[in-house]
Amino acid sequence: MKYFHLVWKNALRNKIRSVLTVLSLAISLFLLTTIIAFWTTLNRTPESLEAQLRLVVRHAVSLANSLPISYRSEIEKIPGVQQVVPLQWFGGVYIDEKNFFAQFATEPDKVFEMYGEYQLSPDQLQSFIKDRTGCIVGKTLADRFNWKVGDRITLIGRIFPVDLELTIRGIYTAPTKEEASALYFNWEYWNEAMGRPNVIGTFAVKARRIEDIPQIIDTIDARFQNSLAQTKTETEKAFQLSFVSMLGNVKFLIASVNAVVLFAILLVVANTMAIAMRERTREVAILKTIGFRRKTLLALLIAEAVLICFLGWIFGCLGAWLLWSSIDLTGIGGGFLSSLIVTPSILALGLAVALLLALLSAGVPAWRASQITVAQALRQL
Amino acid sequence: MAIPLKYNFRNLRARSITTLVTALSISLTVAVFVVLMALSNGLKMAFVSTGHPENLIVLRQNAGAETNSTISPEAFQVLKYLPGVARNEQGEPLASAESIVLINLPRVHTTERSNVLIRGLSLTGLPLHPQVRLVEGRWFEPGLREIVVSRQISRRFQNTGLGDRLRFGKGEWKVVGVFEAAGTAYDSEIWCDGNQLRSDYNRPIYSSVYIRAEAPSLVETLSHRIREDQRLQLDAKGEVQYYSEQTQSGQIIQIYGMFIAIVMAVGSSFAAMNAMYGAVVNRSREIGILRVLGFSKGSILFSFALESLILALLGGAVGCLLALPVNGISTGTTNWQTFSEVAFMFRVTPKLLLGGMIFSGLIGLLGGLFPALRAARQHILDALRAVG
Repeated sequence: MKYFHLVWKNALRNKIRSVLTVLSLAISLFLLTTIIAFWTTLNRTPESLEAQLRLVVRHAVSLANSLPISYRSEIEKIPGVQQVVPLQWFGGVYIDEKNFFAQFATEPDKVFEMYGEYQLSPDQLQSFIKDRTGCIVGKTLADRFNWKVGDRITLIGRIFPVDLELTIRGIYTAPTKEEASALYFNWEYWNEAMGRPNVIGTFAVKARRIEDIPQIIDTIDARFQNSLAQTKTETEKAFQLSFVSMLGNVKFLIASVNAVVLFAILLVVANTMAIAMRERTREVAILKTIGFRRKTLLALLIAEAVLICFLGWIFGCLGAWLLWSSIDLTGIGGGFLSSLIVTPSILALGLAVALLLALLSAGVPAWRASQITVAQALRQL
Repeated sequence: MAIPLKYNFRNLRARSITTLVTALSISLTVAVFVVLMALSNGLKMAFVSTGHPENLIVLRQNAGAETNSTISPEAFQVLKYLPGVARNEQGEPLASAESIVLINLPRVHTTERSNVLIRGLSLTGLPLHPQVRLVEGRWFEPGLREIVVSRQISRRFQNTGLGDRLRFGKGEWKVVGVFEAAGTAYDSEIWCDGNQLRSDYNRPIYSSVYIRAEAPSLVETLSHRIREDQRLQLDAKGEVQYYSEQTQSGQIIQIYGMFIAIVMAVGSSFAAMNAMYGAVVNRSREIGILRVLGFSKGSILFSFALESLILALLGGAVGCLLALPVNGISTGTTNWQTFSEVAFMFRVTPKLLLGGMIFSGLIGLLGGLFPALRAARQHILDALRAVG
């Protein structure tokens, strides 16, 4: 630690250059952190045990095709199935198209047994069950539109030719912002308004045990193999990820932008480090004359690079973390993201990248500087 | 008097490694900018070019997109015989009632799936979509389970080649033809006989109606008339307008692209600044000599700013060259309005390349301004005394 002062002084030797290097590093690391956070947030699915037990059954052709509601009792009979709850995506418009949020028609008395991680007070649940035109909304959603229990809202049907008048009967909480951004209302109300087609978009199915899941999937799909409406059953996680895959080849795009950004910073940082080392040949010679060992010199020079890269990490990665944890992206996320989540492992990855950059960029010039003999170095004036 | 340009070029060459690295970092930034904008450009083009200026599209009120819409056969009869609807040589009104179904198909080489839009129409409706051209096989026969697939879809999804079979509705459908639609949104669709599709899905109703107006100027009048008709409860608009409204689905890519490009640009302008500060420090003595020779502060400022600009433009040109090969590569994403796949191509246009060069110029000016100011402000004696 006794050398820290020397390393610090060396780093500040050319203040402008050090500040600019730290800044360009910080910006690249910020971008890297943001892009990776974007990808992991997009792919994030609920990890709770509850969520792992859940399956989604939909029409084999596509989500836009409906299943008969009568499938429900058939699925309930399948061994290993604990519970079945119908879910219908409504996709209505609240005042303006920009106010996008998820709306599901479901069974009020069962839905909270299916989604055990959602919390709703018992009396609010009771008043939701009693009111056919009632609905409940997530906390995040309620905050977004300043809704209170008892408010009346109208959803204009886009996919379906009906408009729904709903009364908010309760506000539930959920582990993530995305889960707390949905609205649930009574399927009976929707079915009646639609003229009783008795169909449903998806069934949420809860298995008794995780080990049963593969078998349940096969049994459900086999059961409806020769019916008019064939089913496709998948885990809730796979179902959610299928929307991400619809975005197209985003993975490749993100990976290539990341690679380019990384390469660009490596170039810039390596270049500045090399210049800084070259400038210091004379100093190195003097330090050697005083009696510093090669190893110590090498360590000093690398420590300086590490310091600069570490500062870049602090501003870039921690900056990204601070920025994204305080910004709400609901408006521009298009319903996909409400915030970017910079996880500790992304921060750790950023640190590893920063340290690796320090070693790569400073390693060769520092080694060369430490190897040079005193006479050679002093001659290079 | 201005300092000759040659001075700047020679200086850039004298510190060739720094020049190269800085220019390369700028070129990477510009390349990322051009590629991401080419992506959003291509998506926009796919929609904007789709509409025919004389066509209008009729949908259910509030449906917003064809996939959500329903129109009764009675309403179609009314729409067909509205005044101002163009007629073909046989005197039949040019109107096409179409049905839309979505099917979920696996992409080639992966297990990833996406929704593809199936359009059922009658052969008499084809002239309303003149962009669509059969390139292989034949059109579907009325009353048979036959489909004609766009080239883009057949390249990007499994089991969609000529002769393949797809299962949806009440049975298997055979691919009998392949069409191309000149990069429009139809390039992401599968077409078949409307009556067969409706009978497979037990649907007595249509999804949308396309109408050809007698003249482009009549499109708005006709649309207005349909919207105002209380019996119909329908929404009508020009086909051009309908498709350009769907470009919204490219918005996320555009925001994402602009964000990355701007952040990278700030980063590389710091790199340029670093290189230029280095140049100013190294050349202190030279600057002093130039001042002694009689060059003004202004011309020193101008010269250094210009040098940074040259450096950045050099990088920008390389960046544009690096980005060029993506032009024409086809890819796809989901149009969330219709919930179905839209295939499109990266489009690097001359305008975009110009944008890339301007972008790099801005990076250069931003990076060069402060170092140039510093160079110009140096005191002559201090500059001459400096080591270097």
